[in-house]
Amino acid sequence: MIRISDIQSADELLPARMLNEFVYCPRLFYLEHVDGLFAHNSDTLEGAARHSRVDAKSDALPTAQEAVQCESIHARSVTLSSEQYGLIAKLDLIEAEGDLATPVDYKRGAPKSLDDGSLGAWDPDRIQLCVQALVLRENGYRCDEGILFYWATRQRVRITIDDALVAETLAIVAAARRLMDARQIPAPLVNSPKCPRCSLVSICLPDETSHCRAYVACEQSEQTQPGGRWVQPLLFDVGYPAANSESIESAPVRQLITSRDERRPLYLNTQGNHVGISAQVLKIKEKDKLIQEVRLNDLCQVNIFGNIQLTTQAIGALMTADIPVVYFSYGGWFHGMTQSVGLKNILWRREQFRQADSNRFCLQLAKQLVKGKIRNQRTLLMRNHVEPPEQALQFLKALTIEVRRAESLAELLGVEGLAARVYFEHFNGMIKVGSDDDRPRQQNGKHEFRFDFERRNRRPPRDPINALLSLGYSLLAKDLTIAATSVGLDPFLGFYHQPRFGRPALALDLMEPFRPLIVDSAVLSAINQRMVTISDFVVVGDAVALTANGRKGFFRAYEQRMDQLVTHPLFGYRVSYRRLLEVQTRLLARQLMGEILEYPVFETR
Amino acid sequence: MRSSFLVCYDICDDKRLRQVFKTLRGWGDHLQYSVFECQLTPADLITLRGQLKAIIHQDEDQVLFINLGPSEGRGDRVIEALGQPYCRMDSPCLIV
Ligand code: SF4
Repeated sequence: MIRISDIQSADELLPARMLNEFVYCPRLFYLEHVDGLFAHNSDTLEGAARHSRVDAKSDALPTAQEAVQCESIHARSVTLSSEQYGLIAKLDLIEAEGDLATPVDYKRGAPKSLDDGSLGAWDPDRIQLCVQALVLRENGYRCDEGILFYWATRQRVRITIDDALVAETLAIVAAARRLMDARQIPAPLVNSPKCPRCSLVSICLPDETSHCRAYVACEQSEQTQPGGRWVQPLLFDVGYPAANSESIESAPVRQLITSRDERRPLYLNTQGNHVGISAQVLKIKEKDKLIQEVRLNDLCQVNIFGNIQLTTQAIGALMTADIPVVYFSYGGWFHGMTQSVGLKNILWRREQFRQADSNRFCLQLAKQLVKGKIRNQRTLLMRNHVEPPEQALQFLKALTIEVRRAESLAELLGVEGLAARVYFEHFNGMIKVGSDDDRPRQQNGKHEFRFDFERRNRRPPRDPINALLSLGYSLLAKDLTIAATSVGLDPFLGFYHQPRFGRPALALDLMEPFRPLIVDSAVLSAINQRMVTISDFVVVGDAVALTANGRKGFFRAYEQRMDQLVTHPLFGYRVSYRRLLEVQTRLLARQLMGEILEYPVFETR
Repeated sequence: MRSSFLVCYDICDDKRLRQVFKTLRGWGDHLQYSVFECQLTPADLITLRGQLKAIIHQDEDQVLFINLGPSEGRGDRVIEALGQPYCRMDSPCLIV
């Protein structure tokens, strides 16, 4: 018996399946096996479903000596390894006559049709099959050919395992090992038809990454910077190959990601509710009365405001489905979240921590973020103000230039604060419910409100608009915390916002340019479209807060904004804001890993 | 991109019927006796198909998937109700 599926050290052996991916695309191999990222798409799911039927029962393969006595052998789902080459393979089916074995590998899809019209095998499949032959040989069998069975057309393709194929395979094994050791992610394929079919396309962002690589980081060059040539110094700090200033021809960016997230957030807002689960459906109860059922399949996140009970079983099911649960105080402070384990790409977080120690990196990124924020504030004023204030717009424009000159984070903070003051001075001009149509009502001695904004105040918010803004920023911080976490970065270590206990500094960094575009804009629609009205506010102590009903209205306004499609200025395709947050966070990870030199901040046109 | 499906089933055995019902509840709304409406991505469809295949008996039971096209922008165009109203939830989030 030569099954080794239980042996721990199998880690060090290269699985045949990985080599298949290496041949398909080295970057895919790297993302999956060095960074530990994985995602399903329809192809991999279909493959997994097929395999689970093939694998349903795994057989023991007799040793080659025993096999000689047998007439013929059919063994399914056998795992074998080769010490000599450091390989391991799971074989779908082995057909053997005596000690002459033929591996049969099942593939979804159709065989390749060759120029002469005959059927052939795809390169990744040939190499994977050859690895299977090599492990069989090392286990004492003779193996001269293998068979690839393609499900889509139910056709078999025979492959001769000759010296040339073995040499080709061993060269690929060596190349894959070199790549694992090099710890340098290969560049994405350019305009390749493989990408749309690749399960990691939304993680890899091939066209977007290529597009952002205005400079190529390819040659291993020494630390000197020839006069005038700007080379990102940070890459040297961490021993990365230098960037050279050659620009690459960039192909048009294809939209390979879906424009919207398929799943929706759930907000639990009614105090005292109780949430359990049964068969993948959340049961939301008030006292003992069932008030709503929500399918896990429909959800991307669960937000809990205040006093709501979630059973351990429900949390467990949410974690299994990879749906984060986020906790807010009743008043809307973002407290924390529960998420499943499972992010393995530790190398990215290591890079994040390294870069956070570099002042130059922090300043460079912070400038981008602040510039983007000020530009977006300006755009919002231009678009929504009843009478766009020319002087303020000019001033904001001047400040974006000022940003470029800033030499420290403190200086940058000053410029940002100045811009915020000017912007919020004119915020009122974007509110289009005049006091005429929404007269503040004096409700038997109760506080009198109006939608009238003077300045931004937060702890606590002292008027309705500030209450909405505070809640909105809390929601946005939550969404970027989730985005950072799902990408595999640490939400608590930022570059512009310095670390402080309990503060999701990276999320706060990332949200800067989005504050006006998502939150401020959602607040304006909530008020202007009367999704929230004056009667939705109450005074609690010295703070102004939303009623449960008002909060519902604002959640809706915020989510409507998140769901809205917007054109990406760099890539030219349309995605929802929610999707955009993820794309932008991934681009930051690309910069951290040294693939692109500058974080492309999102600015609307 | 999600598409809307009507999933209709005819299952000969009570135990399997309950299992099919329970599975489908995780994927869509129970419209009528033996009919669910599900909004599925291509990946969801594969997973659901696999789950149902594992429950039903190929030679006795039947499940039909009727594709009503992309969910987005479908509105109420393709389903018209007589009697009890049919309504569709289209909001970008769920609030309870
Ligand atoms: S999306 Fe394209 S470049 Fe990226 S890993 Fe997949 S095949 Fe390779």
